[in-house]
Amino acid sequence: MMSFFKDRNCYLRDYNLPLLEKIKRFNYGYLFFITLVVFMGIGILYSVAQGNFDPWASKQLVRFFVSLIFLYLIALTNLRLWMKYAYVVYGIALLLLIAVSIVGHVGMGAQRWLDLGLFHLQPSEIMKIALVLALARYFHGASLEEIRSWRFMIPPALMIIIPVAFILEQPDLGTALMLVFAGGALFFLVGVQIWKFCTAFILTLISLPIIWSCLHTYQQRRVLTFLNPESDPLGAGYHIAQSKITLGSGGLWGKGFMQGTQSRLNFIPEKQTDFIFTVLAEEFGLFGAFALFFLYAVIIAYGFVIALKCNNFFGKLLAMGLTINFSLYVFMNMSMVMGLMPVVGIPLPLMSYGGTAMMTLCISFGLIECVHINQEMVIGRRGSIDDE
Amino acid sequence: MSVWGYEKGRVMTVRIWALAGIFVMMGLILLSRIFYLQILEGEKYRFLADKNRISVRQTHPSRGFIYDRNGVKLAVNKKTFQAVLIKEDAPDYRQTLANFLKLIPLDEDEIKRIEKEISWKRAFMPIRLKDNLSYEEIARLQLNAPDLVGIQTEEGMVRFYPEGKATAHVVGYVSLLNENDVRSDPNNPFIDLPGYRIGRTGIEGSQEERLRGIPGTRKTEINAQGRSVRILEDIPAVPGEDIYLTIDVELQKYMTEVLRAYAASSVVLDVKTGEILGLVSAPTFDPNLFAYPIPAKEWRQLITNKRLPLQNKALSGSYSPGSIFKLVVALAGLEKGDIKRNTTVDCQGKTKLGNQIFHCWKRNGHGEETLENALMHSCDVYFYEVSQKIGSQQILATARKLGFGAPTQQDIKGERSGLVPSPAWKEERYNDAWRMGDTLNLSIGQGFLNATPMQLVKATAEIANGGYQVRPFLIYETDAEKSREPKERLFKEEYIRILQSGMNRVVNKQQGTGHASAFDVDGQKMAGKTATTQVRRISLKERQEGIKSQDELPEEYRDHAIFVAYAPVDQPRFAIVVLVEHGGGGAQVAAPLASKIMKKTLELYPREIR
Repeated sequence: MMSFFKDRNCYLRDYNLPLLEKIKRFNYGYLFFITLVVFMGIGILYSVAQGNFDPWASKQLVRFFVSLIFLYLIALTNLRLWMKYAYVVYGIALLLLIAVSIVGHVGMGAQRWLDLGLFHLQPSEIMKIALVLALARYFHGASLEEIRSWRFMIPPALMIIIPVAFILEQPDLGTALMLVFAGGALFFLVGVQIWKFCTAFILTLISLPIIWSCLHTYQQRRVLTFLNPESDPLGAGYHIAQSKITLGSGGLWGKGFMQGTQSRLNFIPEKQTDFIFTVLAEEFGLFGAFALFFLYAVIIAYGFVIALKCNNFFGKLLAMGLTINFSLYVFMNMSMVMGLMPVVGIPLPLMSYGGTAMMTLCISFGLIECVHINQEMVIGRRGSIDDE
Repeated sequence: MSVWGYEKGRVMTVRIWALAGIFVMMGLILLSRIFYLQILEGEKYRFLADKNRISVRQTHPSRGFIYDRNGVKLAVNKKTFQAVLIKEDAPDYRQTLANFLKLIPLDEDEIKRIEKEISWKRAFMPIRLKDNLSYEEIARLQLNAPDLVGIQTEEGMVRFYPEGKATAHVVGYVSLLNENDVRSDPNNPFIDLPGYRIGRTGIEGSQEERLRGIPGTRKTEINAQGRSVRILEDIPAVPGEDIYLTIDVELQKYMTEVLRAYAASSVVLDVKTGEILGLVSAPTFDPNLFAYPIPAKEWRQLITNKRLPLQNKALSGSYSPGSIFKLVVALAGLEKGDIKRNTTVDCQGKTKLGNQIFHCWKRNGHGEETLENALMHSCDVYFYEVSQKIGSQQILATARKLGFGAPTQQDIKGERSGLVPSPAWKEERYNDAWRMGDTLNLSIGQGFLNATPMQLVKATAEIANGGYQVRPFLIYETDAEKSREPKERLFKEEYIRILQSGMNRVVNKQQGTGHASAFDVDGQKMAGKTATTQVRRISLKERQEGIKSQDELPEEYRDHAIFVAYAPVDQPRFAIVVLVEHGGGGAQVAAPLASKIMKKTLELYPREIR
């Protein structure tokens, strides 16, 4: 018990801003753009429900405000706390994943969440944040020489591979890919040599047939359909085709708010979640799509700037990792609905209807805000102890 | 930042910027993609979106009804449901079809037909899968709608003929469009209407354009499930015109019943107006069979039947008129002045012409015959003799004047012209000159001359009404117009009276050939003329084998029996022809049938009390 308190004191000792200062330093511009996108999303949800707040828009609004409280509270925490409990969070997330896997086996079919009564806990969502936390923690104190050695890279690689394996088993190809990409991006940022990425890429190509055989039939079919949409014109190919029709028919200015025929007449599957972008593009055209692009670009740019400005590696990596997560969401969803990528089931962050996603996104933004508020914080190589 | 992290920090900053660069490029890819989809390809996708949501359907106009002279319905429409497949709507029409057949099995012939239609129909043209769906089948289709994308249940109209067989040849029938219809008239506005049935024969065929109306167009917005959400545009169909016929369905039914056992035809005509009160060809068929594609077995039966049920024998049957033509010869002689009422010929049973001998049907002759008696007895020798004087030219001219050699009406298509020969025609056809023998054959209605029953009854009517031209018709042009009084007189009344007197004797004198069929309804009597026309002579060989009478020959070689008549004698109103193919003697077979029909006609139209 004593050591715990001692350690904690060590971490928290030198740098903790007063609450008022933290509130002052909070990046309200960042929050403004986030809120703007959420409201755009709510507008589209309203339109998709043919001019009704039910069943999506109103709930989404409530969820956003609840999540906003979390965002704000997390932003005001001490960054060192997250550094200290990074592995704990990762461990819990991994245990939950395993639990889901077991429950999933007991239950029927694919199971991605634990029913906790009030809300569905989706461990894979938590893992997206936990992995970034754990990797940021791991790489924080690493020297460049360590990073460039093989042996040092084995633990972080396992940190990625183990949850990915469980998530693939669920099966949730989209999230698994996101974890791999986000983790890989962090590897890249800390300075892993480019040739290692090339090697990994080639190795992946070679092992593709093995991965292929591990994929679920429905996933195989989706990939095949993507490569040749004619093969399944009523199934996934139909979705891609209709998605493109919806987007393309929007033209320059769109068909007008609530005037989208494709969405109104149910030609779009999952129009309130994964394919919500097509509705925006149909009703507001290129103009609306570009506006959303711009907002996303601003949010992502904020993340980059916050990372660049941060004084400590943990904060840099945390902000970058979460921003990369967010960006990957956006890229993958948009590529998917535009027919550039197989339909893998990834929502459009902040726009798509969904409670868990909104909550995890706000936690992420809370953490990035936390990095922003604590950008001047110096964190020693192993916490702060060694640097004394 | 401390020393251990200096180099690491530098690398990280560089890499963050590199990643930013990568993100910008990915962003540009997405931007150009959306630009490509919305602007460069926008037109195409807008079109596809409209095609998705707008369904343009033609709607059926209601086909005009057909009524008889008393307003009895002869052709009406019945509601029906059918399943159609639209190729372009089905993602995989073969799969869709397979799913359909699992729910509603069809026999092999039908599947073959559907396969054929799939191969030639345009992608947007509905392919009929099953007609006359029961409610149970409709329910089954609706329950399984997700597996049947591209299949629609259409409400259609099917033609129904309440009087069926009795009016089959007059009213005709309709049937579904086939490959030839589409090819021959690709601009027919009805091609895309599933279940559209085109008039084929009879009034349905000739009045197709009046009856069919104009199809409507309905643009509806449909959702992804194919369900109609709202109507965008609705141009209602214009129903077809109703048509009133001169036919009396009571008489028509009676005639059908009377002729049921024969290969025969009969027409009843109003001698003044030309209204066709009854027109029957036997055997008949059920026109309702064609409402749905006629089952192959029934179709085969219809087309292999030697008695040709589908042929309208009254208009399309062309026969030697036989002794009926003696009326024409007599009229020609009277017109030319070569014979008078009292011109007599001594019949010794035969006439010699060079080496040839022409026999009278009565071997031992009729003795001294006047014109009227020659008609009464149907004496061949009388006409052999006088025709030599009159000459073929006059006979043929009179025949044409009476309407032989040309169609008599326009209301039903496909009427044959028959044949009025001429020396030039014979020269052309047989490369041989017209000989006196040909004239003698002509004088008794044998040889080259051919006429339809319709022409025979028209000529009869023209004699009956005192020599006025008759234009037979079936369709009242307006509902109000019920008669067309004759205007043009063709023949002098004096000559006509002589013919009438001859025809009167045929029926009402003891010695007349048709006397057995005489009647007296309410003081109304019938006048007529019999004919028995040779289809084939009994050959010498058959005579040696013991075949002496026509009855012993196979049916297709037996004589045709013909009888024309009009009634009442004093104030003629109706003319009739009955022609029984291979029936035997006109007096024995045709006259009694005609007598029955005429009696019925007089009962239906009693003499007006003035």
